[in-house]
Amino acid sequence: MEVVSWNDIYTVVNTRVSNNAAPDILNIDTFADYVGDDLLRPIKDFVSDETYAKFYPAFIEQSNIDGTIWAIPDLASARAMYYNKDILEASGVDKVPTTWAELKDACQKIKAANPDVYPWGVDMTTDEGQACFAYYSWNNGGDFTDASGNWTLNSAENVEAVEYIVGLVKDGLTNNDPATQTRYDLQELFATGKVAMMIGPNQISNYVAGKENPINFGIASIPANEGKETASVGVMDRFMVFDKDDTDDKVDAIKTFFDFFYEDTRYSEWVIMETFLPATSTGGEIMAAADPDAASWIDIVGSAKFYPTAKAEWADVKQGVINVEQQALLGGNVQELLDTLQSQIAG
Amino acid sequence: MSTKTPAAPAQQQAQAAPRLPNPGSRKLFRAIEPYIWIAPSIILMAIFIVTPIVKVFQLSMNKVTRAGKLKGFNNFENFTSVIKDPAFAVVLKNTILWTIAVVVISTVLGFILALILNNEFKGRKIARAIVVFPWATTLVIQASAWKFIVNTDYGTLNALLKSLGIIDASVNWTPNPTAWFTWEIACGIFVTIPFVCFCVLSGLQSIDASYYEAATVDGAGYFQKLFKITLPLVKSSLTVSTVLNIIYVFNSFPIIWTMTKGDPANRTDTLVTYLYKLAFYNGKQGEASAVSVIGFLILLICASVYMVYTLRKGDEDL
Repeated sequence: MEVVSWNDIYTVVNTRVSNNAAPDILNIDTFADYVGDDLLRPIKDFVSDETYAKFYPAFIEQSNIDGTIWAIPDLASARAMYYNKDILEASGVDKVPTTWAELKDACQKIKAANPDVYPWGVDMTTDEGQACFAYYSWNNGGDFTDASGNWTLNSAENVEAVEYIVGLVKDGLTNNDPATQTRYDLQELFATGKVAMMIGPNQISNYVAGKENPINFGIASIPANEGKETASVGVMDRFMVFDKDDTDDKVDAIKTFFDFFYEDTRYSEWVIMETFLPATSTGGEIMAAADPDAASWIDIVGSAKFYPTAKAEWADVKQGVINVEQQALLGGNVQELLDTLQSQIAG
Repeated sequence: MSTKTPAAPAQQQAQAAPRLPNPGSRKLFRAIEPYIWIAPSIILMAIFIVTPIVKVFQLSMNKVTRAGKLKGFNNFENFTSVIKDPAFAVVLKNTILWTIAVVVISTVLGFILALILNNEFKGRKIARAIVVFPWATTLVIQASAWKFIVNTDYGTLNALLKSLGIIDASVNWTPNPTAWFTWEIACGIFVTIPFVCFCVLSGLQSIDASYYEAATVDGAGYFQKLFKITLPLVKSSLTVSTVLNIIYVFNSFPIIWTMTKGDPANRTDTLVTYLYKLAFYNGKQGEASAVSVIGFLILLICASVYMVYTLRKGDEDL
């Protein structure tokens, strides 16, 4: 086994692939590029039926390209809205915002009561700006693609979504520099009471609790536009197996490894230790029983939407929407920017 | 390290040479001897310099998949698609601005600092040591420190100005991309000054004091001495530091990456940060290599101009 830092893993894997020294099993987030180069073998060949049945079906579907499942999820994380209860209360916000109008209203109240506090945290950086796009697009009934998988980047919902969040930034209701403040910066500002509300992953709970003077915070669903359903953003990592004309013995060995890895107690202990969320329903049940706080998260992750990572253009789309957000911050026209991106991606 | 490597064989050769049986093979040995000595350097350069350059040229001419597989020559498509991207013009302009601003300003300031440090004064050694600090610190640490200083919410610059009573509320020192880029240039200048300063200082110390004494006797003023004696005599040191700086600054990655990652929307990108993003965020290794080749060619032209210039000057001196 070789452990590589997350920052370098793509470089390391790509170097190995181009030198014909691909790993047997790879644990990473993306897989479509490897499928595109015919490097992987269907994962079903390497997983026993018993283990395969444990995964949330929605998770397995995320690794489906043209009807074949190429990877299995090992863990997931989901996003929700974190809010500082004390700041909201002191600013006269009685109800935790659930819609965009309520959110804007709450931000204005917080701003009026505490000029030093940033009401809403936004991250449009090169690191994670695509999450920002998803938070507002998905909660406005928009998406990166339509039901049959065609790119719909310049849909009216998406334009409205980007305009809404850029509007909040321009009205001074957010942190001052969303293009360079990453979610780690926001997390720190939130934990020290400088940001009142933000969208973030489940690890923020531990981060805040570990501080010397932990703030009093709550977790809620991500606000959606009026009449639209709220959606969480899920992220998952996966196992995949490279095609190396493996012998039956080796296939059996890989099966044994996965059976061992996903054994319920062992697996749920590992996921809890890593403070992520489980990808198997049996693991989820154990975790929910052990920690009632985690139970609400497991509900959220069960209904989370995921990035279209199975599509080959995803890397371009990801950087593309980040660029659109940053251009919009500098005064660009959202509709024109998204039109251009759509024509670049969909041709 | 490279000076140590040949030391051991040198002794062996010295002992072996007299034992060669006939004058013919001794002649042959004499003929190939220099090549044996430089072989280790040539091999090291081939492995660590030539191979990567060849590899980058190869990548830039090929269609490269995201997983890093080469799919054959693609008719310079990597170059055309890079140049067609509107971001490239922005990035190229930033790179030129970044290189010129950092090199010119740090050269002027470094030169002045060297003149000051060349004077006799108490604590001169300590002052010289302090000047080395920015140079001796890793660029990532430097850039992180600068980013921390100018931070709106917990930055030390705001804290300092507040405690001095100059400002009441926190000031956002980085309200737009131009402001960010200016801070990055300031950081670049700060870390480049020591190098210029020490190059010039070494030149200054080799100037014979009698020139100045003679000039003083002849009634020359401070600025006459500066422009007629000092500048011409440190010119070669200044040229070396300037050319090396152009190459270092042009290729500098850590400052911009640590402070802004080239954001927002490529407004603070230089060629190097841009190609890094292309390769490792967009997965376009072919296009990233094309940007790398373009940068290489720009530097090659600059270096050639310099070499032609200095070689010609050398001939005149003869």
